[in-house]
Amino acid sequence: MSILLASVGFGLITSAVLAIAAVGFTLQFAVTDVLNLAFAAVMTAGAFVAYWINQRGVSVWIGLVVAMAACSVISVLLNLAVYSPFQRRGSSPITIVIVSLGMALIIEFGVQAIVGGVDVSYTMGQGRAFHAGGLILTTVQLVIIAISLVVMAGVHVLLRYTKLGKAMRATAANRTLARNCGIRTSRVIALTWALTGALGGLAGTVFAIDIGSFGPTSTDLFLVLILAAVFLGGPGHAYGAILGAALIGLSTEISAAYIQPDYKYVIAFVALLAMLAVRPAGLLGARA
Amino acid sequence: MYYLITLLVYGAVDAIACLGLSQQFGVGGVTNFGFIIFQAAGAYVAAILALPPDTANGGFQLYIGGWNLPFPLPWLGAALAGALLALPFTFLVGRRLRGDFAAIGLLVTAVLANLLVTNYRPLFNGDAGLAIVPAPLQSGVFATTSSTYQWLFVVAAVVLAAGVYWFVRRLTESPYGRTLRAMRDNDKVADSLGKNLLSLRTGMLVLGGAIAALSGGVLVTFISVWSPAAWSYAETIVLFAAVIIGGRGDHRGAVLGAILVPVGFEEVTRLITNANPSLPPNLLPSLQWVAIGLLIALFLWLRPQGILPERKRVIAVPARAAPAAGAAADQAAAHGDLLAAGGHRLPAPGDAPAVPAEPGPRARARARAARPAGPEPDVVLQAVDVRRHFGGVQAVAGVSLSVRRGTLTGLIGPNGAGKSTLLAMLAGTDRVSSGRVLYQGQDITAVPAFRRARMGLVRTFQLASEFKRLTVMENLLAGAPGNRGDSFLGAVAGRRYWGQDETAAIAAATATLSRFGLDALANEYAGDLSGGQRRLVEIMRALMADPDVLLLDEPMAGVHPELARRIGDSLVGLCREGMTIVMVEHELAIMDEFCDPVIVMAEGAVLAEGTMAELRAREEVVEAYLVG
Repeated sequence: MSILLASVGFGLITSAVLAIAAVGFTLQFAVTDVLNLAFAAVMTAGAFVAYWINQRGVSVWIGLVVAMAACSVISVLLNLAVYSPFQRRGSSPITIVIVSLGMALIIEFGVQAIVGGVDVSYTMGQGRAFHAGGLILTTVQLVIIAISLVVMAGVHVLLRYTKLGKAMRATAANRTLARNCGIRTSRVIALTWALTGALGGLAGTVFAIDIGSFGPTSTDLFLVLILAAVFLGGPGHAYGAILGAALIGLSTEISAAYIQPDYKYVIAFVALLAMLAVRPAGLLGARA
Repeated sequence: MYYLITLLVYGAVDAIACLGLSQQFGVGGVTNFGFIIFQAAGAYVAAILALPPDTANGGFQLYIGGWNLPFPLPWLGAALAGALLALPFTFLVGRRLRGDFAAIGLLVTAVLANLLVTNYRPLFNGDAGLAIVPAPLQSGVFATTSSTYQWLFVVAAVVLAAGVYWFVRRLTESPYGRTLRAMRDNDKVADSLGKNLLSLRTGMLVLGGAIAALSGGVLVTFISVWSPAAWSYAETIVLFAAVIIGGRGDHRGAVLGAILVPVGFEEVTRLITNANPSLPPNLLPSLQWVAIGLLIALFLWLRPQGILPERKRVIAVPARAAPAAGAAADQAAAHGDLLAAGGHRLPAPGDAPAVPAEPGPRARARARAARPAGPEPDVVLQAVDVRRHFGGVQAVAGVSLSVRRGTLTGLIGPNGAGKSTLLAMLAGTDRVSSGRVLYQGQDITAVPAFRRARMGLVRTFQLASEFKRLTVMENLLAGAPGNRGDSFLGAVAGRRYWGQDETAAIAAATATLSRFGLDALANEYAGDLSGGQRRLVEIMRALMADPDVLLLDEPMAGVHPELARRIGDSLVGLCREGMTIVMVEHELAIMDEFCDPVIVMAEGAVLAEGTMAELRAREEVVEAYLVG
């Protein structure tokens, strides 16, 4: 029982990190129709920006903010210099996905070229450990979960109640129509990339905090989780991404309690392929 | 010396892998981001077929199999394993899933497969991988370390690569290859012309998988080791880079890409490392990956067709019959003036047909069928209370109509009336939310679009839907059914098998081109034509499919009014020969002149039916749509 509870604890933190990443990824897809496979690489870049700051004696939480800013800039540039030109030219979605893979290579191995191949970790305290039954979470983990909840609430408020959020939803639904209604879609898109880039930086840093020891290629497997969460909830649906993150995060960690931990990703894998086979629009997506 | 041998073997192996990818991705348009797991599967299977049981050699490795089979069984087994491994993934490449989603499913599979093999040691010895894999004919005449043996291996690998090249070229230069390229260029249209997308893509997955696996089998029996490090998901990207840079769609480009990218890269890296021994150990490998990413992006931007682009297939158009002398030629010249600005001319009514067309079987059947004398012609296509909704929007709200044989029915209505949606449901390219569609008495509501096309129910599309990287002639040939070369086995059987069907199809296509006056453009890329010309190609291609019922979605859009009238005349002529046509159009003059009956739709429902004269007299029709 306590193993189950402990794994629920792991599941909560994984879901929290995953939710931030999945929401960022899915909003990029929703508003620009780009499956940005370089997202995990941007996360890595963010984690290492925070590390660089942290190495200079600054708290990792400040490093986190800097990472968010840096990844925001990287993402806006990525769209401006790469994805947008290809889209304007009318390239097929598959061409853009291949380009995004190329970008992933450039960013991830660019980071590796700079920092080397050794795993590093942040210099930070973990805080007290809180026990609740068999559930054990440290202060840091609780902070991460709290950040994630704030982010999700913020995204909800953004999409539902702000003008930008409505413009994002309109652009996602039908870009031409949105433009004809007077929405500055190019600005909406740039802002979306800035926001989701920041989410990527945030996700990367908390991911690195959570796993402790990380390297430039640590996010490769995490990308699989992101994709599973996004497609489970429905690609392009922010609430779906949150739901998917919760399901994937909890199920992978709980399964790790019963099968060998190395295989916990298999659940995410099976979920993703099953959704693609049966219901590509996802759980919350509209049936075509 | 040994170095050169290794280089050549790697070159051959990479060439084989890239040829498989070129066929699967470049020709078939199937994007498989998990390509490397097929090469890995081939390597592992070849290894466990060739290795003795895992208790041998002191039992330091753990693996399944180990049957110590002689050459060439490991290589053959590898190819078979690759083919079989593709089968579970066919669900990803059906009609329903976007190509980029399917590609991601395969990418994820590659990541997970590597993880599983690494962690589950009893399978293929986990992270450490397999070693001491026996080379082919190890206990044969030559010692495997002798240079004679090594060179023989090189020769075998290169000959195999040449064989693979010959095979995929044979496939690609056949009607089957043309169908694959059409599917690649526009899968929705290929589907509507009778091509079974699932079957075609499954074939490409299986074939690509088998070829990739073969390359893995050859490689593992040469280097005698294989571990998960050799096949991370990123290795697929290297192969994609090779095919993109070298030139996809042209198999020579794949070979060039194999030489430039996997082999060339390694060589340049080695040279740099030797020149600068003091560099940090992982700097160059990292920069290699950065370079690959950059090259992919640059090539896709600057030269997406690659260094050696896909060649244009020029098909000799059979010579025209001698033109009718004197009066007809003068008449033709006069008409030629009128249409000279459009860049083409339709044959004047008096022209003799250029090449006699061999009509398709359904056309022949129609000609043979006696014209019904007394009673009304039978109903050939019917919609029964058909509905279509998207979320909350009712695009088509309960439409029932009957189309009688031999009629040219017009379908008009304001924008958003649901005309194109109705057409799509009749053709099967969109599914009904409820209701039934009946064709020649049969309920075809659940029948997919490609089968309806094979039954004689063919549609055209409103928006640009030509196969861009096929010539006009190829576009038409792609529409023609019944070509024996239009299947995998038929393609393998070769030109001697399908040559006759092809010649007949070319003759039919030439006749159709002459009928619509586009024979001068037969060998131009369809994507390079003007809007009006592309519309004509669309119609001609649909006619090549030998339809009984033709559904045209705004065929005259963007077409010169005079040309539109000529097209209308042609359509009327086809109806007189027994074809049934339903035409969505906005040009009311066309409806006036050619269509009877005309159906008016508004807001998803049928408003009225009758001749244009009758409709103009009805108030509700005038209100809904007609403005004088």
